[in-house]
Amino acid sequence: MESEGIGRVFAALRALWRRGSGRYALIVLGLWIAVAIVSLFWTPQPLLATDGYHVWAQPSAAHPLGTDGTGADVLSWLMAGSRTNLVIAVLTVICSGALGLLLVGLMVSRSAGLASTTVAVVDALISIPTVLIALLLTVPFGASVGVIVGACSIAYGLNLARIARPSAMLAARSDYVESALAGGASGWYAFTRHVVPNIMPVLTVQLTISAGTSVLAEAGLTYLGVGVGAGVPSWGHSLSTSVKLINVFPLTVVWPGLVVTLAVVALNLLGDAFNSAMDEGSL
Amino acid sequence: MRFLAHRLLLFVAALFGVSVLVFVALRILPGDVAAVMAGTAATPDRIAALRTQFGLDRPLITQYLDWVGGLLHGDLGTSALTGRAVVAQVGQRASLTFPLIILSLFIALLIGLPLGCASVLANGRRMRGFLHVLAIVGGAVPALWSGLLLILLFSRGTGLIGIFPSQGFPSEGWHNPGRALSSLVLPAVATGIVAGAGIMRYTRAAVGDVMDGGAIDMAMACGMTRTQAVLRVGLRLATPQLVSVAGLTFAQMITGVMVVESLFALPGLGALLIGDVGNRDLIAVQSELFLLAAFFLLLGLVIDLIHRALDPRLKAADATGTDAGDGTTGSAASKGGE
Repeated sequence: MESEGIGRVFAALRALWRRGSGRYALIVLGLWIAVAIVSLFWTPQPLLATDGYHVWAQPSAAHPLGTDGTGADVLSWLMAGSRTNLVIAVLTVICSGALGLLLVGLMVSRSAGLASTTVAVVDALISIPTVLIALLLTVPFGASVGVIVGACSIAYGLNLARIARPSAMLAARSDYVESALAGGASGWYAFTRHVVPNIMPVLTVQLTISAGTSVLAEAGLTYLGVGVGAGVPSWGHSLSTSVKLINVFPLTVVWPGLVVTLAVVALNLLGDAFNSAMDEGSL
Repeated sequence: MRFLAHRLLLFVAALFGVSVLVFVALRILPGDVAAVMAGTAATPDRIAALRTQFGLDRPLITQYLDWVGGLLHGDLGTSALTGRAVVAQVGQRASLTFPLIILSLFIALLIGLPLGCASVLANGRRMRGFLHVLAIVGGAVPALWSGLLLILLFSRGTGLIGIFPSQGFPSEGWHNPGRALSSLVLPAVATGIVAGAGIMRYTRAAVGDVMDGGAIDMAMACGMTRTQAVLRVGLRLATPQLVSVAGLTFAQMITGVMVVESLFALPGLGALLIGDVGNRDLIAVQSELFLLAAFFLLLGLVIDLIHRALDPRLKAADATGTDAGDGTTGSAASKGGE
């Protein structure tokens, strides 16, 4: 059973690797994960090592990307930041996926009142921007990783439900669901066995893209002061720091933004590769 | 008509829900609002005075009803910090933020629509691939970063080609329209690029869907060229979906707009809201959050109504009682552009 599962994962990775977009995505994501793991044990300089005599320093052998206003090493913080963003991306995918599935389940439920209420609520709330949800959560809970994950999960979960609804409706009204229910299967069983597999393609692609958007959201929210707390390394933190470097050493501005862009492009291309692999039936 | 009544009812219910949510979120703070507003060094007397001043010593339900009653009369309360009416503050800041969002949306459409059509029309594999990658990369740039790069390239003082002001907004505001507008150009481009990439993707998808439906083939059979058919028939049929996308893009751009407001030191709504949250000016925050949320709920309502008016197929589907196959798939714009 277990070896079969691993075999399927390898088959999926091979199918993705055969595509140019999938190959780029897997390489970048592999690097991302590797750097995140390495940064747990080693960074070029300790994160909290500050040096008041070398603030806003130019890149040098000791500080390949220079130092920030406290003399801390920009590269080390960027590396450590990949951890935080990995956690945010994974948690956002899990939570928004769960919320999306819950909403889809309610939308296709047999109780017409419940279904139409859910559709209506999703339609009404879809236009509320992520940043407003984040602000609403920040006031009582303070800026933290949880606020970003919470805000992204709510926003992307609603979006996911709206996108997955048409195919979920088709599956829920299909003959095999009818016959499963007539045969005494529970609604839960029909949903997990028949509806969920049918929306899996949409779900996978959309969640992959959401992971990328969560990276962008983190950067924006952290810059605004409603993202991860001060002193927590993240790409948004590095990007916000680089803003202050613009007058001192303009080229330093390029790196954190480039890292974010490459990662988000990788996740979007991964979504593309999933899409075409599933169209072809090789996943 | 039934749809309209239903949708309006829902809008009112959502407004009520949001007002409760905002109120509760600001009341479940550890400690109480007055203590938070007064700060850590405040004397108990000062806290008590604030509590009486803002009526925080009354039962929660009275406070809530009072607040909502005020909202209904257009009274959003007074800022604890500046002592000015919140309505006046919001109005003044909105006169910067709304032109900025509209300019961004305009730039996004200017980028997104032609490129989206071009990627439908592109013949070569290579051209198609290039446009595809362009859309993905464009949508992956954080607004903060594109803003920084634009400052490095085009701002006076710092940039390589100094043609636009790098930061700030003229103190006389819109009384000097030329300068005001020129200080909004770089921020608007910074957010417009990201949103434009999103619009480009949806244009391609929506026009592509129309092509699958056979309308384009029909138009070509009647003698149009492929380009004519896509631009005249395809784009027209995709309009309802594109209106939805543009509306949601408007809503989604707000994060990017708040970021560039801060980056370019523009005194807009984002700066106001973030500043008030930072200053713990909670009475103001409460009304501002509600007002913004209400605005976006209203925007959602308007988009839905326009979409419906533009797409008679939805009405027909309603009349026959069949599911419309969710004509809003195109409007399910992913929350991009942050």
